[in-house]
Amino acid sequence: MRARRNKKGITMPLASVMNLFVIGMVLAALAGGLVVFISVFRRSVEQNAVISSEQAVVQVSNTVRNYTADMEEVMNLIEESYGREKEERDNALETLLRIRKDVVAVTSYDEEGEMVDWWTGNYHLKERILKNLSFIQRENGRGNRLLISEPHAETLLENYYPWVVSIRKDLETGDGKKHAVVLDVRFSQIANYVDEVGIGQHGYCFIMDKNGNIVYHPQQQLIYSGLKSEQTDILTKAGDGTRVKKNVIYSIRSLDNCDWRIVGVSYIDELVTVKVRDAMRILLVLIAFVLMTVFFSSFLLTHMISHPIQSLVEAMKDFEANAEEFSYQPVHGSKEMIALSDSFGHMVCRIQDLMEKVRREEITLRKTELKALQAQINPHFLYNTLDAIGWMCEEERSKDAVEMVDALAKLFRISISKGHELIPIEKEVEHAKSYLMIQNFRYKNQFTYSFDIEEECLPYLCNKITLQPIIENAIYHGINRMVDEGEICIRIYGEGNDIVFSVSDNGVGMSREQCESILKSEPGDQTGIGIKNVNDRIKIYFGEEYGITIESEPDEGTCVSIRMPKVEEGGYEGK
Amino acid sequence: MRANRKRWGRAFAVSALFLLVLALGGCGKESAASGKRYVALVTKSMDSAFWKSVYAGAAAAATEYNLQISMVGPKREEDYETQNRMIEEAVENGAEVIVFSAVDYNANSEAIDEAARKGVKIVVIDSDVNSGQVSCRIGTDNREAGKMAGEAALEAEEEELYIGIVNYDINSANGQQREEGFREIAGADARVKNMYTINVVSTTEDAREGTIQLLEEHPEINVIVTFNEWTSLGVGWAIRDLDLAEDTQVVAFDSNVVSVGMLETGEVDALIVQNPYAMGYLGVEEAYRLLNGGNAGGAVIDTATTCVTRDNMFEPECQRMLFSFDQ
Repeated sequence: MRARRNKKGITMPLASVMNLFVIGMVLAALAGGLVVFISVFRRSVEQNAVISSEQAVVQVSNTVRNYTADMEEVMNLIEESYGREKEERDNALETLLRIRKDVVAVTSYDEEGEMVDWWTGNYHLKERILKNLSFIQRENGRGNRLLISEPHAETLLENYYPWVVSIRKDLETGDGKKHAVVLDVRFSQIANYVDEVGIGQHGYCFIMDKNGNIVYHPQQQLIYSGLKSEQTDILTKAGDGTRVKKNVIYSIRSLDNCDWRIVGVSYIDELVTVKVRDAMRILLVLIAFVLMTVFFSSFLLTHMISHPIQSLVEAMKDFEANAEEFSYQPVHGSKEMIALSDSFGHMVCRIQDLMEKVRREEITLRKTELKALQAQINPHFLYNTLDAIGWMCEEERSKDAVEMVDALAKLFRISISKGHELIPIEKEVEHAKSYLMIQNFRYKNQFTYSFDIEEECLPYLCNKITLQPIIENAIYHGINRMVDEGEICIRIYGEGNDIVFSVSDNGVGMSREQCESILKSEPGDQTGIGIKNVNDRIKIYFGEEYGITIESEPDEGTCVSIRMPKVEEGGYEGK
Repeated sequence: MRANRKRWGRAFAVSALFLLVLALGGCGKESAASGKRYVALVTKSMDSAFWKSVYAGAAAAATEYNLQISMVGPKREEDYETQNRMIEEAVENGAEVIVFSAVDYNANSEAIDEAARKGVKIVVIDSDVNSGQVSCRIGTDNREAGKMAGEAALEAEEEELYIGIVNYDINSANGQQREEGFREIAGADARVKNMYTINVVSTTEDAREGTIQLLEEHPEINVIVTFNEWTSLGVGWAIRDLDLAEDTQVVAFDSNVVSVGMLETGEVDALIVQNPYAMGYLGVEEAYRLLNGGNAGGAVIDTATTCVTRDNMFEPECQRMLFSFDQ
């Protein structure tokens, strides 16, 4: 894994990638959704705000229109009363003033503007009127519309200064004169209604006249105290309709029967932000929920998939590195992972079993094979030797016969060696001597042999029947075919930690191919244990670096060297 | 692999914590919104048009800023003990801000300091108190108002001016400041020959008797100044009683249905009109700011003052100052 990281820069565990991917997707989707949602939402809220602002203004203007119509009705009542007797008229108008709390005073003026008559309900007309703000001058070309003054303080009554508007209407009196009748009206009725109108949280409506004077505002006193102002100059110039200015929606509507205009003011930001905030809160909860779920699921994923996979990968690597001593710890996780893990566990056990089995079988095979080979004494050799012994007995060479039998017995004893594979070199030398003695008898001293053995080598161990096959080879393939007397020289000497056996003859020698084939092929003819077998055994017991090397020169002779380590008694815990 | 698991665990914990904080934050916000915060308004008195207008302004601001508000004041404008008790009560009732108008510049200071020690914020309107704990002072610039009164008094046409000053409680800060401002202007005018000051209890009746007594003692007085609503009425009644409307230049304070009537009929020649509605409104608005972590740092907010005479009283601007808009 470390190596992989170096190669690719960053490598991440599967679960992290999955988690990042899922979280990224969720966040991207949410962010995108949010942006789209807010823009769509904002637009729709804006539209709604404009619509609701317009609706509010329409409602207020209807109400105010009804109110002014009501005032016209009152005017008509007054006009009607002019047709009656003075006393009856006074009664009617005083009653009207008592019933209609919003009508503060009714005054009438002659054509010169002198106050002719007045009705003031519960209040008294001042003895001296400093200034009459109620009397409005007639404007030309006004037709039948009501003439309504700017709002002003009532100046006609003693100790009573409510804010009123004056409404003037010219009437024909019975005697052919023209009278101007003025109604002074408080806003109490409209006020309650206008106050109640809300557009959004802080939106409101107010009434202004065509000159920009505020007739009624829910926060009139704040305006009068100079704490608040409306942009009446701009609004006066603006026509009817709705306009949005810097997050403020102004809806303006003129009344058809007088000069008043209704203005609705609402704040988009507030409307939108409040709603968006609500929506955002829900969304935040949702996001939190989703994130929580994602985290939880990723936690689960990590726990159920990634970690087990990682453990499995580690385990496989460990197994790869050291198959024999690996012990498998099953991983936990999802069902599939457990199944996978179990399979891997089974596989590991199976492979280890198989490996063990193979190893054991091989060892047994080799050992039995070796033992079989060792046990296999060439019958020809035995027959020939026994024949030779027989001949000796017949010729009454009993001394020679005894030697032969002794040698043969020794040969077999050492060959078997109680089943041990490794025997002291001393014994092996004895074995070789016995064999050479027998062969020398048989070949009627066709060759001579000599031993050159370092004393200190004798106690070390070597594979049994190591020298004999080589000597046999030297006799059969070297000396047997010679005319001259052959000579076999056997040397054993230490070389560092190794011991070298060398068997050299002065026979016909072998070609390179022959040398190689001797080391490779099983003996096909009468010879007992082949050189290859010796070589194999040495290599199995001591390793590849040991074994047999053959140097041969045709017509010169052959030298076979056997190299094996110095092994002392008990120093080899054999296989 | 273990490290990785740890990292994920940490990320999980951090995000969980984050969500928790978010949730708690949301809850906290909501719980704060449900309970209104409490602001107490403690005034010098309750019955005058001036204070009613202050209450109206305060109530409007309380509605706008969604605050709970209580409005109390003693019966008599000299009763600082009752006022001190009202401060204590307001603190006990859990007021977070006290909007205060002091009866007595010094006698109220201890109660205000004590309230401030308990963490209550103090906003002063109209009349100051001797305390370093005041976050904000809102009201008429009393010296300027006094100067305005001085200028109005000097409108008198006589060659020699003898000025009677009918002031209220000598311990009240704003009355003294107004008088100082007045004296600064009047004292600098050569026509002013003498000034006589009396201090009366701030009621119509006491001011009326005091004025009559002053005028009897000093019949040469041809200009009278007075500095609050009740003393203005008292002076007006006295002038009416003595039928001196034509001969005396009267400069009075604050608008009231009766004093406006007197302005019309001539007993009073000029009214220095303050803006009590704005005081109440701004006082509570400032309280709201303080509650939301604002820091006025002892700021002084000056509410406008207007001099209204018989000639300009029905100008639109003056109408607005004189006549409150009640439905």
